[in-house]
Amino acid sequence: MITTALTFDELSTLMKQAAGVTVDARELEKAPDAPFTTLGLDSLGLLGIVGELENRYSVALPTDAERCKTPAEFVGLVNNALRTGV
Amino acid sequence: MTRRVAVTGIGVVAPGGTGAKAFWDLLAAGRTATRGITLFDPVGLRSRIAAECDFDPADHGLDPDLSRHADRYIQFAVVAAGEAVRDSGLDTDAEDPWRVAVSLGSAVGGTTRLEHDYVLVSEGGRRWDVDHRAAGPKLHMAFSPSTLSSVVAEQFGARGPVQTVSTGCTSGLDAVGYAFHTIAEGRADVCISGASDSPISPITMACFDAIKATSPDNDDPEHASRPFDNNRNGFVMGEGAAVLVLEEYEHARARGAHIYCEIGGYATFGNAYHMTGLTGEGLEMSRAIDSTLDQARLDPTLIDYVNAHGSGTRQNDRHETAAVKRSLGAHAYDTPMSSIKSMVGHSLGAIGAIEVAACVLAMKHQVVPPTANYETPDPECDLDYVPRTARPRKLRNVLSVGSGFGGFQSAVLLTRSGGRTR
Amino acid sequence: MSTERPRRAVVTGIGVIAPNGLRADAYWKSVREGLGVLDRITREGCEDLPLKVAGEVRGFDASTLIEDRFLVQTDRFSHYTMAAAQLALDDAGLPRENPEEPFEIGVVTAAGSGGGEFGQRELQKLWGQGSKFVGPYQSIAWFYAASTGQISIRSGLKGPCGVVASDEAGGLDAIAHAARGVRRGTGAVLVGAAEAPLAPYSMVCQLGYPELSTVEDPDRAYRPFTAGACGFVPAEGGAMLVVEDESRARDRGAAVRAVVAGHGATFTGASRWEESREGLARAIRVALDEAGCAPEEVDVVFADALGVPEADRAEALAIADALGAHATRVPVTAPKTGIGRAYCGAPVLDTAAAVFAMEHGVVPPTPHVFDICHDLDLVMSRARPAELRTALVLSRGLMGSNAALVVRRGDDSAW
Repeated sequence: MITTALTFDELSTLMKQAAGVTVDARELEKAPDAPFTTLGLDSLGLLGIVGELENRYSVALPTDAERCKTPAEFVGLVNNALRTGV
Repeated sequence: MTRRVAVTGIGVVAPGGTGAKAFWDLLAAGRTATRGITLFDPVGLRSRIAAECDFDPADHGLDPDLSRHADRYIQFAVVAAGEAVRDSGLDTDAEDPWRVAVSLGSAVGGTTRLEHDYVLVSEGGRRWDVDHRAAGPKLHMAFSPSTLSSVVAEQFGARGPVQTVSTGCTSGLDAVGYAFHTIAEGRADVCISGASDSPISPITMACFDAIKATSPDNDDPEHASRPFDNNRNGFVMGEGAAVLVLEEYEHARARGAHIYCEIGGYATFGNAYHMTGLTGEGLEMSRAIDSTLDQARLDPTLIDYVNAHGSGTRQNDRHETAAVKRSLGAHAYDTPMSSIKSMVGHSLGAIGAIEVAACVLAMKHQVVPPTANYETPDPECDLDYVPRTARPRKLRNVLSVGSGFGGFQSAVLLTRSGGRTR
Repeated sequence: MSTERPRRAVVTGIGVIAPNGLRADAYWKSVREGLGVLDRITREGCEDLPLKVAGEVRGFDASTLIEDRFLVQTDRFSHYTMAAAQLALDDAGLPRENPEEPFEIGVVTAAGSGGGEFGQRELQKLWGQGSKFVGPYQSIAWFYAASTGQISIRSGLKGPCGVVASDEAGGLDAIAHAARGVRRGTGAVLVGAAEAPLAPYSMVCQLGYPELSTVEDPDRAYRPFTAGACGFVPAEGGAMLVVEDESRARDRGAAVRAVVAGHGATFTGASRWEESREGLARAIRVALDEAGCAPEEVDVVFADALGVPEADRAEALAIADALGAHATRVPVTAPKTGIGRAYCGAPVLDTAAAVFAMEHGVVPPTPHVFDICHDLDLVMSRARPAELRTALVLSRGLMGSNAALVVRRGDDSAW
């Protein structure tokens, strides 16, 4: 059972690492429905983040993960997957 | 100076059989050459299927040195070029060598060999400070992308402009386009042009895995490449080469050569949008098509067939459907448009040249090759994709289009109309 | 029939990232002074390789010019190329992004080594950890077309894009490709090359070149045309130029810095240097012919200067064959002995130097070279003032290609 959850802080770090996009975690928290594209994160960047999480937690995330449009959607989906072990 | 440019020879190494005849037989029958990967053990990969060439260099009389040491993609190119030159009837010894050019494309060049030796020098990926003593001989030939054109030029005694073109997946179209300009503008009279790639390797498969661009239909490889079908799920990797002998029209006529067709025009534009993404509008590809029509002074309604990029990704299929509609207008609905990637896979830089070769052969046989595996229409892709079965048709003006990583959009126009129509 | 004057392709902008300068003017200052910057290679993982000396780009911080989201998805070779491209756009007075007529401006680069460092990192992940550890950018960072694509996207340039992957001479071929595009109707082309071949595995790959110098003394490692010639030293970096339609440039008030007047290319086989004499001489004749330029009009030659005795001899003889008696009088220089050969970037850097040389009326010297054994007027030790209206730039590739480019002064409308 995995108890770890993805936080906005971690997402912010991952966005920087995997895609070179600098967004403050507090901003993500404040406006979690701002689309990734307006934050500067493209499809390849999101794929990189998904890959990094999959390797880190040794799980396969659902294919919907890389199609998420917003931080809120993504964090929700990832945490649900980590919780249920899908 | 603008001179007419004729196609006088074709050579092909493609999945499903070596030689232009075997290649055309596969296309005309609508057979697919996609299968489980045998070139290496693909265990652990998401996509473990590809269209491989059953190719043994020993069957083709290559120099022992080439046979033993040259990279697979170079062997493909030499064999395809040999067939093309023989087919053209050109006596390369009798030509002025300074007027014979080479223009060949490759997207990933010697990376298969580079990976092979990397594993040796890094102790299987364990060290960054690699040990040069473990490397194989002549590794620099895999490192230098110009080895491709250099080896082919050497084989056929070409001493004119020799260039290697590497614009990702439009390399093949662009190499033919550069050859067209080289002859049309007077820098050479003959150009051995085309492209080659052998990218079925762990690193190349893994990097397309990482962006989920390739089909994961490992249990049904024969039906995995489904361009324009609503249930497509990515492209299937391929390999191969095609070479055309391009020749100044009067030069070809003077020696009584068989002329398959002429190159009517070539253009390329960047989408300046995304390295791998495409817009839904197809504006830049459409502009490339329009430019080739302008060069040939050809009305769009006279296009008889479009050989699509048709990689089998949703965004590609919609992008080029939009582009073709934008350029051909209502005539797009009357124009068959098919993707041979359904049968021979997507051999990255090589495929553009292989598709041009398919167009030349289609004109020769007056038959449109089909899109294999096309079963379920996508409501957003509503053109005539020539499902599953080849179709006889009068073919005088044919377009081959392609898109590549980097945002490149290219088009080559082939024509047998022989004159201007507007 | 149109009686209009044919379109001319001119240079309106230069951007340089080189071992001896991180801007075009800094590069030219070093070249003019004959500064030699060859040094021990300091990159991690290269310590135990038998190649010790190269021209490294040092002190370059890509993030001052390029956004992080572009940097994470590209190799060092694209960082150099993108930075040089931006500097060239700035120099030409063109917008850094989203020009009004995006289809008017294309991008052409030459590439001879690709994204080797990025590629090695991803190969290490694949073979050391597994295929799932290969990141999404490997598919767009390693291949030769990476720089052209990224520059097109970053600056919003939708004109004809291209990549020639043809080792050293490819740099000149790319400039010619751009000039022809302009003559055919494209408004401007951002063109050139920059390379980054100094990663451990890329260096292992280069060890097979028989022409490579592995001499460990930076002052003696690369001395073409001398009795001590022992091969060439590799380098990284390169240059990008804005090549533009002359009337477009004049209409927008841009300075016309030089005219790209002629180009010739031939092939004489990999490492068959004696035969390159005939090939190079022919390339020169073709280039002069296209430029409508008599041999006597050549005021300076930027030599290929490979540093292999038989290649040097072939080049000296080729210059004599093509220029006749003028060959003994024309000043010849090879500023690349100060920085090494940056593969496709090398002749583009030479072309940039040629433009500056014509503007400043001075032939830059050939660092590290003091005593030559060929019948050439090689400019050594210090720069030589001279009225320069026409420059000839030569380049040969290790895989057998030869190229010549004629550039002429931009402020002279006689041609």
